[in-house]
Amino acid sequence: MRQARIDYDMAYMILVVSQMLVCNYLHVSPYLMLSILPVLVLTIPIRVGTVGAMIIAFITGFAVDLLAEGLLGINVLALVPVAFIRRPLIALLFGNEVFSREEDFSVHKNGFFKVFVAIISVQALFLLIYIWADGAATRPLWFNALRFGVSLAAGVVISLLLIDTLAPDDKK
Amino acid sequence: MPRRRSIFPSIVNAAIFILMEIAALNLLSRNSSLQEIWIAQASHKFMGAVWGGSQNVRSYFSLRRENEVLAAENHELRKRLMEISTSTDGSVQLSGDTPYSFFSANIVKISRNKQHNYIIIDKGSENGVTDRCGIISSKGVIGIVDAVGPHHAYALSFRNTDVSISARLGNEGAVGPLVWDGRSSDGAIMKEIPLQYKYHPGDTVYTSGYSSIFPPDIPLGLAGESRVINGATNEIRVKLFQDFSSLRYVTVVKNNNAREMEALER
Repeated sequence: MRQARIDYDMAYMILVVSQMLVCNYLHVSPYLMLSILPVLVLTIPIRVGTVGAMIIAFITGFAVDLLAEGLLGINVLALVPVAFIRRPLIALLFGNEVFSREEDFSVHKNGFFKVFVAIISVQALFLLIYIWADGAATRPLWFNALRFGVSLAAGVVISLLLIDTLAPDDKK
Repeated sequence: MPRRRSIFPSIVNAAIFILMEIAALNLLSRNSSLQEIWIAQASHKFMGAVWGGSQNVRSYFSLRRENEVLAAENHELRKRLMEISTSTDGSVQLSGDTPYSFFSANIVKISRNKQHNYIIIDKGSENGVTDRCGIISSKGVIGIVDAVGPHHAYALSFRNTDVSISARLGNEGAVGPLVWDGRSSDGAIMKEIPLQYKYHPGDTVYTSGYSSIFPPDIPLGLAGESRVINGATNEIRVKLFQDFSSLRYVTVVKNNNAREMEALER
């Protein structure tokens, strides 16, 4: 259990650093905003409450904002809501038993579809706020919509690839 | 039995969430002028909506006080108006010796669905109200005070089949008694109008001033159709200006010479 926690913490920090590198060096297209931060917050261990998750999300977003290119505060603004809805979303998709058993979810235990819906939900929420704040009402709707669609597709794919690293089936 | 969930943690979560989002917006606005303008515009809109809404609510709850202020102002203006007399050549003169006194009052009870309707107002003998005082509004005659207590007065409503007031057709037309028609909320009948007097439907009906209760020239309503009674007089339907269903603020009018006039009549 303790080893799993250390592994998770390490993976979390490595992925945060990866996100900073992506923000600094990977500029593929103005329509693509690649972020793995929502899935990181989604996979924060179940035993961590909403306040704890929001604090982690705030620190994570602030660190990325501070050390990567971009607007200071924008990742915090978009990531804290993900932490706020994390527990209600998990309860809705995976049931309240997850909390009573303090059992983290995984594709193996909860099925691909539910995990996919959870990832797409948090990615969508994050991107909506991020793109809305980044545009600051200066960009046309079609641009924002296209950016949202492309970024959501890419983010969901990357998140699905990472989900086994962050929420491994270590209990199997 | 399912355990009852406390709402307190949810409130704490929401409060911390809002604080963190405000902090994030603050960071954002301090580090980008574009975002600063956008956030400032959004916050101005939000504040405008909140202040506008709260102002509407405050205005709604202060309406009663506003109405009382307006009623007091109304009666003060009416008093001043009575001090101005119009001479025959149309010029306005200040007379200053009007026999009428005015008091603003609130209706605290009113009956509407009877043949003998009444009104109770929140002014009594301690406020100078006496029996046989008139009660008026800006839209006409409301009633006549019948009994007075220290703090309240009981009045016969104009919508009482026992009440009759002296009215005049137009500025210089025929004078006759005006009574409630006993049915409608804004209907009255002007009686005993000699046949030779011509009038036009739509003419305004005023108080005549031929009584010790009401001052002259208070607009009461509009003349409507007429019918001949016993081949001798006309009876004219009058549509009153005053809607008794929305009545709350009134003015009590007291003729300071009423006792002397009544003594002479005896």
